[in-house]
Amino acid sequence: MALTYSTIEGNSRRYNTLLGILAALVLAGAVSFVVSYLKGHQVFGGSNVVPWGLPIVFLIYLIGLSAGSLILSSLTYVFGREEYKPIARMAVFLAIVLILGAMVFIFVDLGRPEKFWRLFMFFYLNNMTSMFAINGVLYGGYLVISLLYLGFILADQPRLTRRIGILAVAWAVLVHMGTGAIFGFVAAREPWFSPIKPLEFLAAALASGLALLILAVIFTLKFTGREVKRETITSLGGLLSVFIIILLVLVFVDKVTHFYAPAREATVYMLAGPGSWVFWVLQIGMGAIIPLALLFHPGLSKTIRGVALAAASVVIGVFFERFYLVITGAAYPLDYYPGKIEGVWGVTGSFPITPVETLLSVGIVALLGLIFMLGLKYLELLPAVESIEASAGGGGEKITASETSVSEGKV
Amino acid sequence: MARWGMVIDLDKCTACQACSVACKAENNVPHGSPQEHTRRTALFWHKVIAVSRGEYPSASIDLIPMPCMHCDKAPCVTVCPVKATYRRDDGIIIQDFRRCIGCKYCMIACPYGVRNFNYKEQEEQEYHRPDLPPDRASRGPWPFPQRVHGVVEKCTFCFHRIDQGIREGKKIGVEVVPACAEACPARAIYFGDLDDPDSQVSQLLASREWLRLREGMGTSPKVFYLPR
Repeated sequence: MALTYSTIEGNSRRYNTLLGILAALVLAGAVSFVVSYLKGHQVFGGSNVVPWGLPIVFLIYLIGLSAGSLILSSLTYVFGREEYKPIARMAVFLAIVLILGAMVFIFVDLGRPEKFWRLFMFFYLNNMTSMFAINGVLYGGYLVISLLYLGFILADQPRLTRRIGILAVAWAVLVHMGTGAIFGFVAAREPWFSPIKPLEFLAAALASGLALLILAVIFTLKFTGREVKRETITSLGGLLSVFIIILLVLVFVDKVTHFYAPAREATVYMLAGPGSWVFWVLQIGMGAIIPLALLFHPGLSKTIRGVALAAASVVIGVFFERFYLVITGAAYPLDYYPGKIEGVWGVTGSFPITPVETLLSVGIVALLGLIFMLGLKYLELLPAVESIEASAGGGGEKITASETSVSEGKV
Repeated sequence: MARWGMVIDLDKCTACQACSVACKAENNVPHGSPQEHTRRTALFWHKVIAVSRGEYPSASIDLIPMPCMHCDKAPCVTVCPVKATYRRDDGIIIQDFRRCIGCKYCMIACPYGVRNFNYKEQEEQEYHRPDLPPDRASRGPWPFPQRVHGVVEKCTFCFHRIDQGIREGKKIGVEVVPACAEACPARAIYFGDLDDPDSQVSQLLASREWLRLREGMGTSPKVFYLPR
């Protein structure tokens, strides 16, 4: 039986209400952006000690989700696993929406956003030894390739899809390893400096991307009155547990290597310093222990609810992994001279969560939810149902809600 | 081509902060409120840190004036995606505000924390102050006539003074020095050409023990310290 796809009607009251709420949040985000542009970054929480704030946290988080989602679509289009076909189109579309969001986050994080174009003057005005410039090439190419990929899928070109799918997957791996290199290659920041960071980022991308995809699939299918196949979800859950274990191993290896060496102050700071509860409770607890317990539980791992809970836990846990890396990692004081540096020059950095920055981040996440909902309405992404029920519409509402709650969770 | 460098004699330094103040006046670096200073969003091109070791009664304090180190292998130049920060032929690391997009990657990469971000639009009064020195006009066009928020800035070794001095045929390091060196009441800061064996800095480095900050980073900074 050939699988056909359809759009959702998207004119129910629920769908329109959700669209309205998201649009209002987007508007609030736009206003905060204008405020941050006019008033300068003093309205953000960053400082000369912790230069990067929430936008960079979200940037690397969304890049990870995007790369993970795209790599999983390859299960169908490159490796020919038919059982994942109903969700593959949505995975590709989700990847495009998320990379767009990452780009918007780069844009708003720049001090001079009107010079955004300078990041994309490849090899001409750019300094190609910079990880940012290299990632500019990777992100730009990734957006183009994944758009082509979706185009070929929607145009029903299996051979072209397979070819570009291989390229897209390879590129997605590069994109995320490049993002890890932004942090891993900086020798001045001891908590970040590590050759394993690119791989760690890739594992985190696969885990969080798959987790978000599971949530998106369950809620979108459920709220558009389509059947959620239990076998699909539980097999994705099995895959998720593998990715989580890989991530856990890489984190362990990274920390233990840096802890073994005598110069271990930075690692001690990350593992036992102020705010290390974020690492233990949110990153390790919610990002690994709870989902693994759920996914290896003989009963719960066979239910959609159990897998969904594990996925939600991973999505939150990996977000806080990013948060902990970017903000707490940067706050580690620089050791200019042996001894205790007195006064403000030697203190550990602080990062106040400011309303403008939070609203801006929530607004951009809402924008992604908006694009995702409109995509479901105008593109044939979901598997068709024979009898379209009255509840058609409202697609993507829960997933956006869960994304928003993630971004609000840390406030 | 000259290779400008700085030698700071820690034995003479009393941490009077004259260098920091002179730098602010010379380069029009805005002052921040106490809150901004505590939050570390105030701008400092030059700072003096105090590093303590040991417990009373056997405690000691080292006072380290910290301008930009103008590293030979500067990590900020490597990571800048848009060539906004670059190394001049004479070794000075310059930040070009027109190119800077404000991504703050250089602030992440700098091991010395000398880079500052403009967190707000500065009020004009702070910038066109009537109490600035009257010899301003003799130094040619002001290198930083106005600031915008959202770009990164840092110490320039007062390159405008050096360039002007070279144009006028003056001896750099003797007649023309950066503002911090000029202001130092203890004459603890020396400036000159590291490649010239007859310059004062070269002779100091040849005759005395010296150290550089964070040698382990491999950045090869051009600011040298003569320990106490």
